[in-house]
Amino acid sequence: MLSDEMTDKDIIIRNYRTSDYQATLEILKELNELYDIGFNENQWRESSGLRQFKPNLKRITLIVELKSGEVVSMGVIEAQKNTLGQYIGYLQNWATKKGFIGLGVGKLLADRAIQILQSWGCDSIRIDLPYKTDKKLLDVFGKTGFHPILTVLEKRF
Amino acid sequence: MTDIFNNSTEKNPHEYLCVVYVMYFDEKKGQIPLLMYPDDRFRSNKKYMRPIEYHPIWFLEAEDLDHIDLEYKGYAFFGKKFTAKSDRKKRRAGLESETPETIVIIVSLPIELTIFGDDLVHKLTDEIRNNFEDQFYEVIESEIARDTVIKTPKVQERITKGKKIKVFMRELIDNTVKTYFSNVITKISDSPSLKTQKAISYFSLKGFKLSDLSTYGGENGFSSVELFDSEKRSSDEFASNQPLSITDINHIEISQELEVTVKNNTDRDLTNVSITITHLKEFFEKDVMQQEVDFWFPYEELLFVSPIVPHIDEYLFSVTLQDEEGNGQKILTQRIDLKSIKKITS
Repeated sequence: MLSDEMTDKDIIIRNYRTSDYQATLEILKELNELYDIGFNENQWRESSGLRQFKPNLKRITLIVELKSGEVVSMGVIEAQKNTLGQYIGYLQNWATKKGFIGLGVGKLLADRAIQILQSWGCDSIRIDLPYKTDKKLLDVFGKTGFHPILTVLEKRF
Repeated sequence: MTDIFNNSTEKNPHEYLCVVYVMYFDEKKGQIPLLMYPDDRFRSNKKYMRPIEYHPIWFLEAEDLDHIDLEYKGYAFFGKKFTAKSDRKKRRAGLESETPETIVIIVSLPIELTIFGDDLVHKLTDEIRNNFEDQFYEVIESEIARDTVIKTPKVQERITKGKKIKVFMRELIDNTVKTYFSNVITKISDSPSLKTQKAISYFSLKGFKLSDLSTYGGENGFSSVELFDSEKRSSDEFASNQPLSITDINHIEISQELEVTVKNNTDRDLTNVSITITHLKEFFEKDVMQQEVDFWFPYEELLFVSPIVPHIDEYLFSVTLQDEEGNGQKILTQRIDLKSIKKITS
């Protein structure tokens, strides 16, 4: 485990590959245990994290890898055209492996994600966070220009 | 082409493109098939013989009209009649041994390939006439001899002779058809005509590879079919291998989507790539999805997701690479049949 905050020299941020399937599955399971994001293992397939092209949607799963090759964090970024014709960028399923939380990995990943979404021409970027998110985390995002605007309600079937 | 009469159980995996009927006029029985290409067994198959009964070629005098066509259940039949030398004793009063044989050549093609019909029937007729005009009566004699009850050595010799001629005739037809499709498709590939587009779509949906980087092989395939200008090939490195390959195709039932995973097999970035998924509606290709990929990393797999059109099972997936001058080059084309791909239900 690393004790100091990480820098971009310590890690590699890259696109998801099918060989990352197992590592991402574990990270998503951990995230689901913590926040009940409704993750269904059967629906996360090998191809799910690949760069995806669909009408009115672009999606990339970003992977944070240590120089040793270990996958320690992931996040899905998505640009979607909404009903008003605006391209909205989303940061979703942002998760870091236990033992690497608090080392700034998520921040490095978010910076890269924002760059990518901006380059896609998104009008704005939204981050999905758990309903009972720690205020400290909101403050961290607030410093980078993100402000709470929506509360999303969900009904499961 | 064995789905010609909508019988999927008889579908031939080699997908012949056309059926050729060589027929003669028998003074006792009327028009009788002498040879059928690609499979002589079609002559006893009602499904193949039925449209021939409807063909108006029977009402024409030989050489009266150039040729005459018939459309029947989605297929076009191009018929041409001519006379050939005879030295066969006829079985009907008033006919001399020298009375010429009446020969009919019919070419049957799916209507999407109608554009080739006129030309192909002329070419086949010319080839067959040039090579066998003086031998037709011997083949006819051989056919008649096959029905005799007592096969004397002389009769057997006559049958054998006719069979040998038919072997050469079949080979000639085979070569003519293969050469014809190989050449003509390459020549017309730049033509924007609707008929050409229909033909190209047909070939694509029937599984012929449209990529100019590969050809359709196999014993019964048209090994040199190239639908796009072969001179547009890029570097040797690029041409030596398929630059892209489809690694997975899924039908997602719950969302009614088609997922196609494609890998860049090259060790370099591909830029300005255009992906389309289309289906055929009547004569027209309709886009279901079109996506532009600005860059595609070496060995990267990309996932393309497209909605599925209700009641449409066949789609065409194609990838086009734009060069610096804006010219498009198809580097991957794949027919997708929903019935034969993996379904994901959850």
